[in-house]
Amino acid sequence: MTTVTPVAGQLCAPRTYSHSRVQLFRFSAVSWNSHRIHYDAEYAALEGFPDAVVQSTLHGETLSRYALEWAGPGAALESVSWRNRATAVAGERLTWSATVRTVEPCDEGTRVTLDVAVHKDDGAPCVTGHVGLTWRAARTSPSAGSSPAPATS
Amino acid sequence: MSAVLQEVLTRARKLIGQWESEDCGVLAVKEFCRYAAALNDLDYIRTARAQEAAGEPVVAPALFLAGTLSWEDGPAENELRPDGLAARESPCTDGLPVRQVHGGQSVRPVRSPVSGMRVTAARSLVSADHRHGRSGEFVLLGVTTRFTSQDGAELMAVDETIVVLDGVPDAATDEPTGVTAA
Repeated sequence: MTTVTPVAGQLCAPRTYSHSRVQLFRFSAVSWNSHRIHYDAEYAALEGFPDAVVQSTLHGETLSRYALEWAGPGAALESVSWRNRATAVAGERLTWSATVRTVEPCDEGTRVTLDVAVHKDDGAPCVTGHVGLTWRAARTSPSAGSSPAPATS
Repeated sequence: MSAVLQEVLTRARKLIGQWESEDCGVLAVKEFCRYAAALNDLDYIRTARAQEAAGEPVVAPALFLAGTLSWEDGPAENELRPDGLAARESPCTDGLPVRQVHGGQSVRPVRSPVSGMRVTAARSLVSADHRHGRSGEFVLLGVTTRFTSQDGAELMAVDETIVVLDGVPDAATDEPTGVTAA
């Protein structure tokens, strides 16, 4: 286990994933979101989308969950914000990426801000934003003992 | 600006600054676990159920409150807009031929919501602006929601934007499948 503290400019290991139609339906169901573009591909096509559309709030979950996984045990979400720039749909290959923006001490230990984004396969940004995390004072390196491996930029 | 978007803007500006409170109910572990399941987070479910079995309070998934679009029981299907949204999720657009997408969100957790806690959401329209983008003109609505527990403690602050575009697809004006016209 290393004891390296993240530094501004450090790249986090990217994560590649996709959301299935079933996941979009289930997320709409649990979040009581009946907007048809998220689970009715036929209706989504009427609005010009090639398949069911990924919910904005599901993007928010992805942005923050991968950030917390990168950070490893002891990290807590302090804030997350994002702007939707392009629509993502079911089955589309997406990539989460992040760069450490700031690192500073705080009452809880260390506060880290990440610039985060989700990109489409062609490199176009789908969602961009920021995630704020805090760690307890005695923390070790981001992702120590967890997956994915820490960035090595 | 189109007449439809002008109407949205006019309605919205009358609502800015008016707060509405909504009872989100008493938070339950079942809700947390189903939310986590939709995210394929089985670790959360295992931990939450173990804590529940031990009689410990269970903390909600971090974005559970912000991720839930609506806390109302919900209208019947024939009262939904053609795009499936309820009036509550579609402020200022009742009866208007518009499409909507989410512009983005800013979430600041303050205190962790736990099972057994009764939560209230106070919501207000805070801005309404006419904009031009790649897909043409639209109205950008800003909405703020503050979640509090029954003791008045702030749990989470959420600021979000809703993009309202003119026009609905022709076929969407048909009644949704399974709906009997009122």
